[in-house]
Amino acid sequence: MLQALVVGLVTGAIYGLMALGLVLIYKGSRVLNFAQAEIGTACLYVAWLVSAKGHQPYLVGAGAAILTAVAIGLLFERFVVRRMTDAPRLSVAVGTIGLFTFLFAAEIYFFGPSPRYLPAPITGLGVQVAGIYVSPTQMVSFAVIAVIAGGLAAFLRLTDFGLGVVAAAQDAAAVRLVGIRLSRVSMFTWGVGAALSAVAALLIEPTISLIAPGVIGEPLFVGGLAAALLGGLSSLPGAFIGGLLVGVLSTEIQFVASGRAIPGVSSLVLFAIVAGVLLVRPQGLLGSANLRAESGS
Amino acid sequence: MSAGPVSVSRRSSGTEVAPASPATPVPQSSEPVRRRPLLTPRRSNILLLLAAAILLPIVTAQAMPLAFTPTDSLVLAEAVAFAIAALALNMLTGYAGQISLGHAALLGVGAFASGLVTSKAGLPMWIGLPAAAVATGLIALVIGFPALRLRGLYLAMVTIAFGFAMYDSILRLDVFTGGSAGVELPRRIWHDTQFSDQSVMLAVALVALLAVWLLDANITRTRLGRAFRAIRENEAVAQAYGVDVARYKLVAFVLSGALAGLAGALWGHAVGFVNSESFPFDISLALIIMVVVGGLGSRVGAVIAGLAFSLFPVVLHGIAWLAGLDIMVGALLLMYTVSRHPGGFAEVIGEARERRRERRSARVQTPDDDAITIPALPRVTSLRTSTAVDPLAPVLEVENVTVRFGGLVAVDSASLRVPRGKIVGLIGPNGAGKTTLFNTISGLIRPTTGTVRLLGQDVSGLPAHRRAELGLGRTFQQIGLAKDQTMLDNLLLAQHLEAGYSTGRALAYTRGVAAAEEVMEARAREAITALGFDGREQTPVKRFSHGQQRIIEMGCALLTDPELLMLDEPSAGMAPGAVENLAVRLNDLRDSLGRTMLLIEHNVPLVLDVCDYIYVLNFGQVLAEGTPDEILAHPDVIGAYLGEAAG
Amino acid sequence: MSRPDSAVPLLSATDLHAGFGSHAVLHGVDLEVRDGDIAGVFGLNGAGKSVTMKVLAGLVPAWSGKVEYAGRDITRLPVEDRVGLGVGNVPQGRQVFPELSVEQNLRLGAYQLRRRDKSRYAPVLEQVFQRFPVLAQRRGQAAGTLSGGEQASLAVGRALMSEPRLLLVDEPSAGLAPKIVEELFQVLADLNAGGLTILLVEQNVTFGLKLVRTAYLLRSGKVVYSGLVAELDRERVVTELGIGRLLGAARPNPDTAKRRAAPTRTITNRSPSMKNTRKPRSLGEAS
Repeated sequence: MLQALVVGLVTGAIYGLMALGLVLIYKGSRVLNFAQAEIGTACLYVAWLVSAKGHQPYLVGAGAAILTAVAIGLLFERFVVRRMTDAPRLSVAVGTIGLFTFLFAAEIYFFGPSPRYLPAPITGLGVQVAGIYVSPTQMVSFAVIAVIAGGLAAFLRLTDFGLGVVAAAQDAAAVRLVGIRLSRVSMFTWGVGAALSAVAALLIEPTISLIAPGVIGEPLFVGGLAAALLGGLSSLPGAFIGGLLVGVLSTEIQFVASGRAIPGVSSLVLFAIVAGVLLVRPQGLLGSANLRAESGS
Repeated sequence: MSAGPVSVSRRSSGTEVAPASPATPVPQSSEPVRRRPLLTPRRSNILLLLAAAILLPIVTAQAMPLAFTPTDSLVLAEAVAFAIAALALNMLTGYAGQISLGHAALLGVGAFASGLVTSKAGLPMWIGLPAAAVATGLIALVIGFPALRLRGLYLAMVTIAFGFAMYDSILRLDVFTGGSAGVELPRRIWHDTQFSDQSVMLAVALVALLAVWLLDANITRTRLGRAFRAIRENEAVAQAYGVDVARYKLVAFVLSGALAGLAGALWGHAVGFVNSESFPFDISLALIIMVVVGGLGSRVGAVIAGLAFSLFPVVLHGIAWLAGLDIMVGALLLMYTVSRHPGGFAEVIGEARERRRERRSARVQTPDDDAITIPALPRVTSLRTSTAVDPLAPVLEVENVTVRFGGLVAVDSASLRVPRGKIVGLIGPNGAGKTTLFNTISGLIRPTTGTVRLLGQDVSGLPAHRRAELGLGRTFQQIGLAKDQTMLDNLLLAQHLEAGYSTGRALAYTRGVAAAEEVMEARAREAITALGFDGREQTPVKRFSHGQQRIIEMGCALLTDPELLMLDEPSAGMAPGAVENLAVRLNDLRDSLGRTMLLIEHNVPLVLDVCDYIYVLNFGQVLAEGTPDEILAHPDVIGAYLGEAAG
Repeated sequence: MSRPDSAVPLLSATDLHAGFGSHAVLHGVDLEVRDGDIAGVFGLNGAGKSVTMKVLAGLVPAWSGKVEYAGRDITRLPVEDRVGLGVGNVPQGRQVFPELSVEQNLRLGAYQLRRRDKSRYAPVLEQVFQRFPVLAQRRGQAAGTLSGGEQASLAVGRALMSEPRLLLVDEPSAGLAPKIVEELFQVLADLNAGGLTILLVEQNVTFGLKLVRTAYLLRSGKVVYSGLVAELDRERVVTELGIGRLLGAARPNPDTAKRRAAPTRTITNRSPSMKNTRKPRSLGEAS
């Protein structure tokens, strides 16, 4: 049970990263990015190309993956999102569905449906803490996520441009008045959001142990989305905490319900919880009250 | 059936005219004057369907084999099923504005329902299909209820959750699905008789498509469709015209669900078999793409997009070198199209049509607001049986109403009364709480304490649309019209309560419904003429200038023959000349027709000219009240709020 | 920096045409603001005041015409680039960032300043705090929790953080109680006395004419009267703004008084038979 907690926390932190990307893009463009997880998955293939096939060190492959993700994010922002500043948000969402479909199809076309494997970056024995085993991969994942999440938080809070990004979500017109271009803000949210997706995919790959279309993308997207909603789409810290919650909850539920008759019970329960929370508190657990107006009620 | 007395008299502009003659019952127009047509819309629809049901199977059975293989017929049948599904989603998202990303699950419910009915219970397909529709319509209520509290992205999330829950869990339960073995859908006609001809299946699908199309048409040309579109654009405005938003949202979900279930069942019978993998989330996404690319709210667009999406991959498969790339190409095309034309096919066609119309008719002049004068406001005499209301009793009584939002007190123990046949004004600086008080009176906000009494009845707990039923009419600061709809549609929407027919009758487009629509359209056109907008009734409201929109809005509000007309800053955005004209019209409404009005205004000279009694609000409290002379002399009010008039 | 040449206006607009979509609002607006002056644009709703301000600020592109600032043609320059040249903005409705603190709002206002010269930030912030002590008191508080008047001070302070040479203020009195408006206008007057050129757009003519030195009256998208406030003909102001006839209603009018004295009219055109509960008669099938 406690072992599951460790797994849950690590998985949850990864969901948290995914949720951070979703919320960042939502704050910037007011749209749910359906391709959020698929960007990361597609870039896993790039990592595979460079590391496994190209025999480069793991970090080089990871770096290439992240750079590719940023490129995808920036291209999409430039050629689709920026053209649609006045378009209804549902249409922009359809655009992200298009991106998702494109990436998914590209994966199948170039790599086929058979799984690929990334060489494990870290091997060796882990540590035992109070009877719970923590693997080196888990430790490194924790560390990486802490650095990234912390770094993002620091950037947004401490730098001028970062503050501008946060302000743009509150009043985009006023941000122009202080001299910040909204196009730069948009590029930032999409570039960083895409990069977060790639990092999350890289970190979850060892858990799933293989790269194949859909296998990584779906749990990442579902987990990240549930996390973002629980935390309230407007709150970045909320998204991360939501991720931890989702990770722990789904692992524990799977642990408890394993072997029972009801199929798919963990996702069922998860979504029941999400739907329930949304109905009672539409702005999520940590979202701000003025988002309530946006959500309906 | 009687339509009640209807007379809209037309006034020549500018002159004072005697009040319209007392309402006298007018004989039903259609009887003595002209023969009722033999072929009403409803009859012709039914005939059309019958003819199609009989002829199409024969025709397709003969024609299809000439050029297509049975597999082609099957593929077409599946495409038609998806076109129906697209129509179903369009009804919910395009008309009523409720986003659903869980429709794949509804398709699944329909397929499984029909499957269980036809294979497990051994009943024919023509029982299975309606059963599927009914079952799915009811299940759709599961996402319909959350829609009452959630909107936009949050509603979409709940529908995604619903879809996933169904896909991952419920639809995998043995009792429904026989495990992953799935359920068969035989094309049973009677007992053991089945048909296996694919082209007949195609015919069945086409007949169903025709039926759904006709149903959709009946929705859009009745108050049902207008209510949906009003809900999509602005729920508060819809409520002001008496639309029970909650009820209509649920109706939209049930209808959309039923049609989606039908589509799923048709698809299932075409393929012959469904299991839990048949309706993954991707299909929900595909449906949304179809509806958006087709153009939200466009019947034609939805069907074309539905057919195109289903057939596109098939067509591309034929082109050898494109194999494998087809989806990628399609996705790139999708991203390109949606960024260039967010409104889909329908937007492209609509804009082309508007450009043609503008070239043909006189250019829509954007006139100086100065030039806008209202020749007359529609003078609708009473449609309703008069009441025993005491002419001396106040129409509206507000007693000690307090409205608190969290820690903020927006309205603090305000009281006012509006006597019959008077114009009462509510003035005060921005942020004084006038609009909050207005919204509390009209029913959009519940007071924390205090009562609101309309015609002597306590309406404090009633929702806005019920108050509209009792005779409350209002305008809005941001102009309470469905701006994407035409002027004529808005005037018809305003008559929502007058229409009175039920949803069921609307779907069937009965004779009574047709007659009611005719009468309403006549009234609307007379109003348009009275307002001086002849010939512009098909123009979307958003194309008119701000001042013109205000006039249209007032026309709509008057068309409901309200007991109390509430006007929220009617002069805002008007040029001085138009404001003077407005003052004349408002005075005339009161003097000649005895209309009772409550208005919020910033234009103090207008208020002084028109109002019989004034309340001054500040910081949520009534600071002063009295006749215009008394207010002018009031020390607190002068310096603070009459800056402009003091000059 | 060269001494400001008082013969060349700091800001000038020539024959501006602009609008929304296909709807034209400005039909050739000309105005100029001299260095050190405090000018106001007045007019009723719909006259084009807001659009004029937005074109001058760079938020809305002009369809034709020219905007010049310090001798430079800035017509095509968007608002983000005008800030760096010394044009500050106090928008309509204040538009402070509600969830950021007062200090964070001010820091954002200094965005361009800090990119130019980071060392100027602390002294400029101190100046703003001295001018608006209430902001210093509430520096850590979320801007959305401030009162209307405090938010107005914050909006002005935020604009001042970029060390502007010209301040564009859009309808400062909107939504504020008169006493607060007086205080705010006093601040603007002080700023102008200290050398800041100000152009404001204002709905409240009474207050506005007390503050500014030069006035422009807009009507139907054109300037119909302008000049030094001291030299303006008040009657003509009232007429040009078009509030003359209705203004008469503020003074006792024999017709109005007669009408009000009349007894309550009985409503003659309703059906004489008074039935019971009101029920809307529907046009649909009654049976």
